[in-house]
Amino acid sequence: MSFVLGRFGQTVLVLLVAAFVSFALFRYVGDPVNNMVGQSASLADREAMRAALGLDDAFILQFARFVGHALTGDFGMSYRFGQPVATLIAERFPATLELALISMLIATGLGVPLGVWTALHRDHWAAQALMAASLIGVALPTFLIGIALILFFSVWLGWLPSFGRGQVVEIGGWTTGLLTTSGLRALVLPAVTLGVFQLALILRLARAEMLEVMRADFIRFARARGLKPRAIQYRHALRNTLVPVVTMIGLQFGNVFAFSIIVETVFQWPGLGLLVIQAIQFADVPLLAAYLVLIALCFAVINLAVDLAYLAIDPRVRSGGGVRRTA
Amino acid sequence: MSLVALRRSMGHWWQGDLAYRFRRSPVAILAALVGLALLVAAMGAPVLAPYDAFDPAAANAADARLPPGVEGMFGDVYLLGTDPQGRDMLSAMLYGLRTSLVVGLASVAAAALAGVLLGLIAGYFGGVLDAFIMRAADVQLSFPAILIALLIDGVARTAMPQELHAELAVPILIAAIAASFWVQYARTVRGLVLVERGRDYVLAAKVTGVSTPRILISHILPNVLGPVLVIATINLALAILTESTLSFLGVGLPSTQPSLGSLVRIGNEFVFSGDWWISALPGLLLVLLSLSVNVFGDWLRDALNPKLAS
Repeated sequence: MSFVLGRFGQTVLVLLVAAFVSFALFRYVGDPVNNMVGQSASLADREAMRAALGLDDAFILQFARFVGHALTGDFGMSYRFGQPVATLIAERFPATLELALISMLIATGLGVPLGVWTALHRDHWAAQALMAASLIGVALPTFLIGIALILFFSVWLGWLPSFGRGQVVEIGGWTTGLLTTSGLRALVLPAVTLGVFQLALILRLARAEMLEVMRADFIRFARARGLKPRAIQYRHALRNTLVPVVTMIGLQFGNVFAFSIIVETVFQWPGLGLLVIQAIQFADVPLLAAYLVLIALCFAVINLAVDLAYLAIDPRVRSGGGVRRTA
Repeated sequence: MSLVALRRSMGHWWQGDLAYRFRRSPVAILAALVGLALLVAAMGAPVLAPYDAFDPAAANAADARLPPGVEGMFGDVYLLGTDPQGRDMLSAMLYGLRTSLVVGLASVAAAALAGVLLGLIAGYFGGVLDAFIMRAADVQLSFPAILIALLIDGVARTAMPQELHAELAVPILIAAIAASFWVQYARTVRGLVLVERGRDYVLAAKVTGVSTPRILISHILPNVLGPVLVIATINLALAILTESTLSFLGVGLPSTQPSLGSLVRIGNEFVFSGDWWISALPGLLLVLLSLSVNVFGDWLRDALNPKLAS
């Protein structure tokens, strides 16, 4: 129980720190007024704007107001778009989530079976080729994969679109590109680009875990009992391999969100990542501040969920001591 | 990976074990040679480059976007073509390689320095300091490094006037990348120090009245440095990729200080008109660099950890 409380406490602390950085940024970076009014605005106009934004109030009051507003999802107006930040984020979120989900689906669907296969057939030439390819996959920067795919499939072959989301359908406030042909075509290159690194990572992890398990005593014992290799591999070994692999995939989901910033920039994909890069380039502080809090929230929730899942699976965690993770 | 085994084999590398493994691995030799060649090319950029990549006068707008091997208006030969400003690609790439390597090496060094120091303190003194440092490390570990670097750099960029930021772009970028990589060093070093501080040589040093900083620096530090070097090698590739990614996104180095990433960025908009070399060539060089460092780091880790070698 104290473990759960501790984890919750840590999560809340992280969120508060993120909120504080985000507020400090919001309040003290540049002059919010300068960013909102035109060059021709008079001094009086600027003063009126300051007062309207509450920028003259005490620090604590402003922070409290910021947190209060943040809790209700209100992060103010974007300097650049002149629209509420929350609206902008809600608009862009479906694009990013779809991209992340599909690329993770590709990476997992291919990575786990291929990793298990390479572990079982270590000396096969295809397994060694896959391992070499996965090393390249880990070493390749995401933006180069994207540019290379654009060059081949869009510019030279002309098969697939290189930017945007294609046609989207709106279902109850959620825009999806998964239901139209142009939307699906537009998704292919970005999803593959985002998935390559994850695929290589999952493949290597699945292989390493499978090798580790195949060396374990209970596998040796199963062999001694005369069980068929196939039964040992898939009934005994695979099951034990999957637990860490699934955990890893859960944790990687946060990374996919981070890397979608790169993919969205390359493919001009209208998601959160593109929004935040533009926010940085145009010093759109409210947007950046909101993104900081949002991303902290996402990661805090993912990590809390993983820890709680461990708690349910592994009783050893309950007796104190955290979960050791390497990400 | 067993750190003790790692340490032991690191400790004896000069006795030939590691050198022997190196001689037996053609892949590692190739990676090391490529890496070394790139390092020489980067550091020799001012001598090797046919044109000065920083000198606007050396760029000729009439020769913009020439494909590799084509002769320019005034008889200049551009081995690898020119970029949109008529800058010689080969020269720009050599200087870009230098910037990428310098930023990568500096940020790894900074991360290692900070991480080792914090790890030593946390491991040796324990208590509140230890709890505080390690909690911070745990929290940071749950965020992707590239996101942290991006946000630190982004916040610094938004917080500063443009001219000031352009001037400080390199140190800020180094600090941002270092801040996103220190955790691994701190955790490793702390774990090792927890073991070392109970050893006889440390107790002996204490009894003979050696000061605490001296125990940490000249007694414990040399014994925990092996794994740090391994992490640093593997991190170098990551740091180089992080720098180039940030520069590509337009939040790293300004285009007046070309790194490989910003060169790719400059060429990116011309990919659609078929001018592939402006992006592809610096990109290829980056891949070569990242691959050679990665392969070497991978080999080093395996060589030091025989249990995993297959």
